[in-house]
Amino acid sequence: MGQPIVRLQDVTKKIGSRTIIDKLTLDVPSGEVFGFLGPNGAGKTTTIRMMVGLMSITSGDILIDGHSISNQFEKAIRHVGAIVENPEMYKYMTGYQNLIHFARMIPGITSHRVREVVSLVGLDARIHDKVRTYSLGMRQRLGVAQAILHNPKLLILDEPTNGLDPAGIRELRDYLRKMAQQEGVAVFVSSHLLSEMELMCDRVAIIQNGRLIDVRTVQSTDKAVIARTLFEVDRPEAALEALAASELTGTIEGAGNIAVEGDKLFAAQVNELLVRSGIKVFGIRAEIKSLEDQFLEMTGGEGIG
Amino acid sequence: MADFMNLIRNENMKMFRRPRLFVMLGIIVGLVIVFSGVWFSVDKGESAMWEVVITETMFLYWIITIFAAIASASTVAEEFSSGTIKMLLIRPWSRSKILLSKYISSLLFALFFAVAFLASLMLVNWILFDLLGNGTVDRLSDVMGVSNIEYLFKYYGLLFLGTMMTVTISFMLSTVFRSSILAIATALFIEIVVNNFMQLLAFVKYKWIDYVLFVHLDLTKYVGGNEYNGMTLGFSLAVLGVYYVLFMVLTWYIFNKRDVAA
Repeated sequence: MGQPIVRLQDVTKKIGSRTIIDKLTLDVPSGEVFGFLGPNGAGKTTTIRMMVGLMSITSGDILIDGHSISNQFEKAIRHVGAIVENPEMYKYMTGYQNLIHFARMIPGITSHRVREVVSLVGLDARIHDKVRTYSLGMRQRLGVAQAILHNPKLLILDEPTNGLDPAGIRELRDYLRKMAQQEGVAVFVSSHLLSEMELMCDRVAIIQNGRLIDVRTVQSTDKAVIARTLFEVDRPEAALEALAASELTGTIEGAGNIAVEGDKLFAAQVNELLVRSGIKVFGIRAEIKSLEDQFLEMTGGEGIG
Repeated sequence: MADFMNLIRNENMKMFRRPRLFVMLGIIVGLVIVFSGVWFSVDKGESAMWEVVITETMFLYWIITIFAAIASASTVAEEFSSGTIKMLLIRPWSRSKILLSKYISSLLFALFFAVAFLASLMLVNWILFDLLGNGTVDRLSDVMGVSNIEYLFKYYGLLFLGTMMTVTISFMLSTVFRSSILAIATALFIEIVVNNFMQLLAFVKYKWIDYVLFVHLDLTKYVGGNEYNGMTLGFSLAVLGVYYVLFMVLTWYIFNKRDVAA
């Protein structure tokens, strides 16, 4: 992981007396896909708007590649590509004209690059049609195209999978991962699609009511911290007794199963103990808590506050 | 700085590449043809071409101002209503420069229509009254003592200053309220109500009336000389200038301050 591309320092946004965002502090290094999770109304889009200078910051600062978005806007935004909310385009122009429009605003984008991006997002066949004829998925692709035109160091995508079909989602996921790994782009993705974030992101921040609740690394299966392990055994009661003798606890889960809480190493130790106690273990199955479970646990399924 | 030209090119692309351009052009050319045609059939081509050109300008020019005001009202407001303002403002350009490119492009649009209007007037009336008609008397130059072209350019120059002012007001309103309807309605109000009734107001003997913006929007009253009803062209321009600076400062200040949540 490289140095932080984007750095949020005690970012606070107040509208009137309401605090929308409360002292948010985050770092996203280059080469990372960073997920920004939260229920509706948590402040995801407000944060993104402040990151791209569409909204002023009440206190605190956002640095992008070392430049403050509030004081050095033009330098800071130079390396940012973004879709904020929906990818709105000029509907009365063609997709290509839209891209030319945005390409003109940043020096050094050749028409060759525009065509390259068009085929990258798979719009070659329809790029010269008016945007009003596009489906939501095609607009989303065009949105991604305008965001990556200038090879940004930071890519900010607000709900990027909205309107994409499963194949499109997978394609986007692979592309974002590739951008992060091969070109060192920091990708900042907001979403409420938790399972999607799990597949896409390296780290995930969870916010609720404008406050950062947690930042965590998305675990691959072999490193999961919180896990339950199910053992299929011949005598569950005897197995629990054996555990209790070593001051461990387990529960009976259905017929012939016991469950223990702990990591992978702990599961191996339990297995050893059971086998030594003469209990036949037919199967061991790890239950990883999904991000979704963790998320709902943390936000407590609370309503919009 | 060459890059700033790209912003203006973008704005022009959004201004001109739309069906409304052809509708507006069609209305203008159509009106000129109908007006001149009726005139021609009534007086059998006796009138001088220049007279027809000036008279039709007096009757029809306000449409140019309305079209220019519509275009300038939509240039900012439409970006907000369609949400594209977000895409526009996240580029390495300050908001002031983006707004300036929009303002310049609004003025260019107004200029384009004023020129198109004058050109179609000249062409249609030249064909009707000069080629086909038998009007030989060049009344305008007799009366005014200046050559027709010079008079015409002076007249259009004064007209266009008024248009610029209306475009600026419309631009300001659409930036401040993000509503093109309000801006367009105001422009219509200025053109129809103000230009017809404000001339009367100018005769009321209160000193403050001399400083009301609307009294000065129609500058063509100075075309024959530098004084009109106790006011000079210089005075009118000074009053307009003060309002202009005020409007521009307000427009830019608000656009820079605004949180974009569209």
